[in-house]
Amino acid sequence: MNTLNVQLFDLTTLLFGGASGTYIVAMYGRKEIFARIGTWICVAAAIVSTAALGVRWAESYKMGIGRIPVTNLYESLVFFAWSVNLFYLFVEWKYKSRAFGAFVIPIAFLTMLFAFTNESGIQPLVPALQSYWLHAHVITCFVGYAAFAVSAGVAVMYLLKARQEETKTTEGIIAHLPSSKALDDLVYRAIIWGFPFLTAGIITGAAWANYAWGTYWSWDPKETWSLIVWLVYAAFLHARITRGWHGKRAAILSIVGFLATIMCYLGVNLVLSGLHSYGG
Amino acid sequence: MTTEKSAPSPMDRVWNFFISVKVAIFTLIILAVASIFGTIVEQNQPLEKYHEIYEDWAFALMDRINLFDMYHSWWFLALLVLFTVNLTCCTIDRFPKVLKVVRNPRTKLDEGLEKSVSLSDRWKKKGTVSEWAPRYAEALASAFSKPRVTEGDGEVHLYAETGVASRFGVYVTHLSIIIIFIGAIVGNVAGFKGYVNIPEGESVSSVAVRGGSRMQDLGFTLRCNSFRVDTYPNGQPKAYVSDLSVIEGGREVLRKKDVVVNDPLQYKGIWFYQSSYGDAGGTTARVAARRSDGTPAGSLSLPPNEPFFIEGYGSIRGVNYDRNFQGNGPALQVVVEKPGKPAENFWIVQGRPDLDRQRKDSMVFSFGGLNTKMFTGLQVARDPGVNIVWVGCTLMVIGIIMAFFLSHQRVWLRLAQGPDGRLAVVLAGSANRNRLAFEKKFEKIQTGVKAVAS
Repeated sequence: MNTLNVQLFDLTTLLFGGASGTYIVAMYGRKEIFARIGTWICVAAAIVSTAALGVRWAESYKMGIGRIPVTNLYESLVFFAWSVNLFYLFVEWKYKSRAFGAFVIPIAFLTMLFAFTNESGIQPLVPALQSYWLHAHVITCFVGYAAFAVSAGVAVMYLLKARQEETKTTEGIIAHLPSSKALDDLVYRAIIWGFPFLTAGIITGAAWANYAWGTYWSWDPKETWSLIVWLVYAAFLHARITRGWHGKRAAILSIVGFLATIMCYLGVNLVLSGLHSYGG
Repeated sequence: MTTEKSAPSPMDRVWNFFISVKVAIFTLIILAVASIFGTIVEQNQPLEKYHEIYEDWAFALMDRINLFDMYHSWWFLALLVLFTVNLTCCTIDRFPKVLKVVRNPRTKLDEGLEKSVSLSDRWKKKGTVSEWAPRYAEALASAFSKPRVTEGDGEVHLYAETGVASRFGVYVTHLSIIIIFIGAIVGNVAGFKGYVNIPEGESVSSVAVRGGSRMQDLGFTLRCNSFRVDTYPNGQPKAYVSDLSVIEGGREVLRKKDVVVNDPLQYKGIWFYQSSYGDAGGTTARVAARRSDGTPAGSLSLPPNEPFFIEGYGSIRGVNYDRNFQGNGPALQVVVEKPGKPAENFWIVQGRPDLDRQRKDSMVFSFGGLNTKMFTGLQVARDPGVNIVWVGCTLMVIGIIMAFFLSHQRVWLRLAQGPDGRLAVVLAGSANRNRLAFEKKFEKIQTGVKAVAS
């Protein structure tokens, strides 16, 4: 029997699945009402998952090991999905378009499915993680990751849309996406949100490392991959602003950046070895 | 730097190379790709380990290009130097131009500028320049920002701007990277990183420097009073706790009883971080001796196999330990030797102090458990550059926010008397960031300016 927080997270998974479905149906069936339902499901998912995080936090206190629920793979995945969903809702509200949902919410859904296959128990915190830096570090990194996820999702939309505009066809679902110009702009906008958060995430990580081990940078694989991600997006921003990289090349670079982000977030722990905890 | 029209001099070519953003993007990508290798090949392992993993030819090649310590190799450092030189040259090249533009903005909307800006609007009006200029200036001030007024050739030019700081964001960011590098160099040159193991009750006044055989004198003495591991109810470690004292001039000047991971001890710029622990050797067994009438005869601390002599009785030594002796829990096997009698060999069990009475001896022994002497392992660091690094990091975040979230927005308004005797008005605007948002703002400025001055 799972505890309440895990049941709430399972419900969140179902909601993300439902929202992904309705957004896709809305696109295929060209029914705005489905997209509207998708939004409301996402709002519900945001409420349920926020409550689940709170309940999990409270449950950890009841177990006498109280700590923020972002310290193992399961928690980190649900927190990532939570961040993507919130960042997505922000974008939807800001850009007044529900067309992005079909490309972004499935990322949250797949993340929750992956979380579902992992051990969901609350473990006590190892000594290395007992620090207030944990909060600042994890939150800044994840807002950054979520922004990059949204950017890559929109970049895929851009590539599909641009190809259709080139061939001047207006058939199918792609026709209902925002204009390629707007998508291109959003690829960039999401990155300029992600970049300062990633920067702050790396800096808070360095500050924490310095406080825990007396060295702010030790070329540990996780640190190095976060730097690689930072360098890729730095290259993107320079190419975009000073060399006018728009459209296809920018979209591909955004997708490359997100692949590097996934490597930094999950690959390092699952493939390589290092100082971060949720690998095992 | 002057550039000749036909053939640029070699000096100029070098300069043009280093101020190129193409080179910057190239360097960023190369740094990213190169960094990947060091995460695939585990760094700074013993050479034997690499020999086991790789074929001889691969090992030789990798060793040749310093792939086993690549982040400190000459070629990786060369890439970082290229990166820094490129960054510096780009700044030297562009910053004065930006400063000039910011100090002396183009306040007059001439024809060239009018064509180059993306947003503009024209309309005609009855009246004269001098009659309308103050009213348009007021309208622009309320719709956007207070304009500067330039008059000449019967024309009046209004110029207003916001978010000038946006232009400097990139330079703040670049400067921050250089500051971080300076901090790192200062730390490497003037600081040290070391480690030390201190057994409980013992002191050190120097530590081993990491990656070398050198010892670093601390300038004071550090004593480990005790070390312990706290655990959660499930047995998982909760905290590694060192009780440390700083001793200077024979006097304790500082004591921190709970130096744990994430809460170091600092004295005179030297930081001590809880990092490891271990068995310092010298385990002893606690044994209590009582006379058969119950009066205590002493608490003994027995090192393995070393006899302890009790006056008027004989000797006792611990020879064996069992964590769970015949299901009774921890126990100590002891040998008691009395003058002129055969040695006795028996077990005493922890938590059962009266068990030994069955021997019907004049002395009753009971086992109080083992005392393991631990050592605490500390990372030691002095880094005078670290605060420079934090200044750089703070500037970096500020610089990035300035560069991407501020927008230098400029609006021009030109009033001229047309050949038909009517007033010709041109409104133009541009922004260096977030042009889509500025388009909407420009529409508002348009309506605002037109409405107030109608």
